[in-house]
Amino acid sequence: MTKPVLRGVLIVAFFALCAFVLVPAFVPRPAFIPGFAPPPDMWPRTVSIVGVVLGALAIFLALRGGQPVEEKVETDGSSVPQMLLRFAGIIAIFVLFFAVVPYVGFLIATMFLTLAMVLMTGERHYRIWIALLSFGGPVLLVLFFHSALGTQFPKGELAKLFGF
Amino acid sequence: MLAEILSALVAVATFQNLLIMAAGIWGGVIVGAIPGMTGTMAVTLALPFTFYMDPVPSILLLVALYKGSTYGGSVSAILIKTPGTASAACTALDGYPLAKQGKAGKALNMALYSSVIGDFLSNLSLIFFAAPLAALALHIGPPEFFMLMLFALTTVAGVSGSSLLLGMVAAALGLLLATVGEDMYGSFRFAFMPDMQAGLSIAPVLIGLFALPELIKLIVMRAAKTEEAAALGAQHVTRAEFMGSLRSILKGSVIGSILGAIPGIGPSSAAFFSYGEAQRSSKNGANFGKGELEGIAASESANNGACGATMIPLLALGVPGDVITGVMLGAFMIQGLTPGPLLFQTNMHEIYMLLIGMLVSSVLLFFAGKITMRMFSKVAHIPQTLLTPLVLLLCIFGIYSIASSTFDVAVLLVMGVVGFGMFLLNIPAAPFLIAFILGPMIEENLRRALAISRGDPAVLLSSPITWVFAALIVFVVSLTIRREITKHKERRVEQ
Amino acid sequence: MKKLLGSIAVAVFAATGPMMAQSYPDQAVTLVVPYGPGGASDLAGRALAETAQPFLEQPVTVMNKPGAGGMNGARFVSEADPDGYTLLLARVGMALSPAVTPDNAVPWDAYTFLGALEATPMILAVRADAPYDTVDDLITAIKDSKGGMTYAASGATAIDGFTTQALLADNGLDPLTAATLVPYKGGGALATALLGGHVDFVAMAAASLMPHIESGDMRALMVFAPSRVESLPDVATAQELGYEKAGQITGWSALYAPKDLPEEVVTKWHEVLGQVATDEKWLDLAARRGSISTIGTVDMTEYAKSQYELFNGLAKDFGYLPE
Repeated sequence: MTKPVLRGVLIVAFFALCAFVLVPAFVPRPAFIPGFAPPPDMWPRTVSIVGVVLGALAIFLALRGGQPVEEKVETDGSSVPQMLLRFAGIIAIFVLFFAVVPYVGFLIATMFLTLAMVLMTGERHYRIWIALLSFGGPVLLVLFFHSALGTQFPKGELAKLFGF
Repeated sequence: MLAEILSALVAVATFQNLLIMAAGIWGGVIVGAIPGMTGTMAVTLALPFTFYMDPVPSILLLVALYKGSTYGGSVSAILIKTPGTASAACTALDGYPLAKQGKAGKALNMALYSSVIGDFLSNLSLIFFAAPLAALALHIGPPEFFMLMLFALTTVAGVSGSSLLLGMVAAALGLLLATVGEDMYGSFRFAFMPDMQAGLSIAPVLIGLFALPELIKLIVMRAAKTEEAAALGAQHVTRAEFMGSLRSILKGSVIGSILGAIPGIGPSSAAFFSYGEAQRSSKNGANFGKGELEGIAASESANNGACGATMIPLLALGVPGDVITGVMLGAFMIQGLTPGPLLFQTNMHEIYMLLIGMLVSSVLLFFAGKITMRMFSKVAHIPQTLLTPLVLLLCIFGIYSIASSTFDVAVLLVMGVVGFGMFLLNIPAAPFLIAFILGPMIEENLRRALAISRGDPAVLLSSPITWVFAALIVFVVSLTIRREITKHKERRVEQ
Repeated sequence: MKKLLGSIAVAVFAATGPMMAQSYPDQAVTLVVPYGPGGASDLAGRALAETAQPFLEQPVTVMNKPGAGGMNGARFVSEADPDGYTLLLARVGMALSPAVTPDNAVPWDAYTFLGALEATPMILAVRADAPYDTVDDLITAIKDSKGGMTYAASGATAIDGFTTQALLADNGLDPLTAATLVPYKGGGALATALLGGHVDFVAMAAASLMPHIESGDMRALMVFAPSRVESLPDVATAQELGYEKAGQITGWSALYAPKDLPEEVVTKWHEVLGQVATDEKWLDLAARRGSISTIGTVDMTEYAKSQYELFNGLAKDFGYLPE
């Protein structure tokens, strides 16, 4: 399967899922809306069906040819599995971030997230700047938002345990 | 009347007022330019200070912040592809490519000139046409609103890049995502968890879609270019470039002034509208989205143009058009001034002071923009590997603090991953965002119109305004289809 | 080394100690307004924040958390730590939503009730050029139109929808079909819809309507409040006109906190509210919003309960809930 065909299939699959599974299940139609007024599911259903049609058209055109040339994605020459691994790493860190916020608090979680992101870009120079960014940055931002807007950031169970 | 204007001029032209406006404008530009911080934040932040100020300076401060932040949004849109506000999304489309070509200075200057001109013209329209524009705004009922926004949606064709079909797919995704949350009648749609009942906010979707994929790309592909951006100072907009964009600037200012006067439309939709219009009518149309100065001019003149015009329904009708004017309405009330028709009878002196002050702040915007541009030009020297995580950090904090919501931060990160997925599949992000913002207005007004007409679709073509826009939609759509078919045939011949 | 550890411990204690000590409040208090900025509830919240600050001796920061008919902000506060640093500016919606949509709302009693703040009258209004001078004229027109008349509201089960529906029910009309509801978002949009003539009437919070009534663009037909509004002495209340259901509906604001709030915090706020009640600025700001301060005059726990029961009964009457 070429990329344009795969893309078309993905589009059809997503919008079909919305039109035939998600809309009926998660868009209730309250009985009190008068019959002549369009109900809440009218619009999402219409848009999803249009999406299915567009996706089908994309498959059709991909098979028929004559589509714009796909732009090449620029890389540093890493292999596909390597790049997939990096992408999985990003997802894992994002998930981990939300998992630890309730325990270690917002401040420490964002420090960890920022540091992980910088290191994952492959940056190993500017060590002082990296440290300042990942540790000093969140501290400054917490202080700023707390004093200016009175924002209360999640403190975390662990921090509470130590009496913070 | 002349005597009144003169006395207002004397009253407003104090050193203190100038200082307040300058601080407001500059503060607004800086807040707008920092990723993750929004004009709404700046205005609400300043609100408590206005309790202790005189009525006119306090409103001038808020207006200055609003204008400043609307321009400031373009700075981060151009330099780091992170539109500070949704209204700068189209600015990023041309501004970021220009920055990558080493022409960030040109882009920033063009954004500033068109913002200032749009702002100034919009203030003039506030002074001379407030009453007729407010009356026009009241005529915009659900059917007219629906047609107007449907026409604005045709901008999608202009921002779809190489494939119109994929642009439409992206728009459908945006329309669908915008339906998450509370339905207009009070039930919930796609509320998989309680947090989703409130829907997805624009800020995390916008930033997630535009800025975050850059970071993910950097990590996954590691194709970072470390070239230094050229010094900004030397890059002036030439006379020819300015004259070439002047038509779009003027058109954008008019579009902004008219659309801004209609409550509920706001600067973002005006910017999309203007960008689409410029792209269709410009001889450089084909270059839009690849780094065209005229695109920046169209988008920025319209969003700042709308900014001043949102004061029209606020002052003349007492109706706030968006969140920021909502906050201003609160400020007026606290000061004991009730915006609305009566204000023009009872407080004419204050109104004149306000209008004069707004004109002055347009001029101040020019200088504040120039200074800020220089400050932020250093951003170009920060290596991408540090800059993009910094942007993420700022956005996470900024978005969290809007509503103390971890859910909004989750939306930000998830949209980043979605945006990256769309990039891999060559599905453009801009149509998604435009549809996401216009979608609720289109849907709700369609349903309102049909509720009022008891299900009769003829209501959608019941007034001259709707006829005009229906005709425009038909014209633009058929033009686009014809162009697509020709392009398609040409490509088949080539292959 | 021991010395160093000791000084760190002291520093940590100094930084965290006050929070453990009995000195509420030692930092800014966040007041969550569950609706968007600029509306009647936001103005009430900001007025309270402004006037309570000197008595509380700590800043009160207002945070808007709109969405889901106010339930988004309400849920945030009901799930927050009961430390007194996150409070809710409650509105009539906090009693209405759980009464009408029990599955999707925060229960009416999921809070500590710190006290009532104000009563906000609702007004039934039409355009000044409309041919209706009294409520009876309007009702007759509604009957004649057979469902063709339209009114704007924030949603079917929102308070500004319930006002109209109660009035219809009182006149023996079907509350859901006798007039057509057109949903709009926010007080400003509702007022504009009437002003532009896109709908025939509204029955909503006074704050967004007063400027237009004063300028002569709109006409007030009736007030939903326990007593007449000072600035509209000639407009009768629903009670006076003998409407049973509509007569019980009115708007209000109150101060809520998460459940199980420490006694010390509750006492502090009773004290602060007592001072706010007679504060000139508070009373002045309330008058400008068109509302009446009710601090200290209502037992909030009881009132919230009675409001919940009222709306629950109406919801069953109107057919939103099974009997």
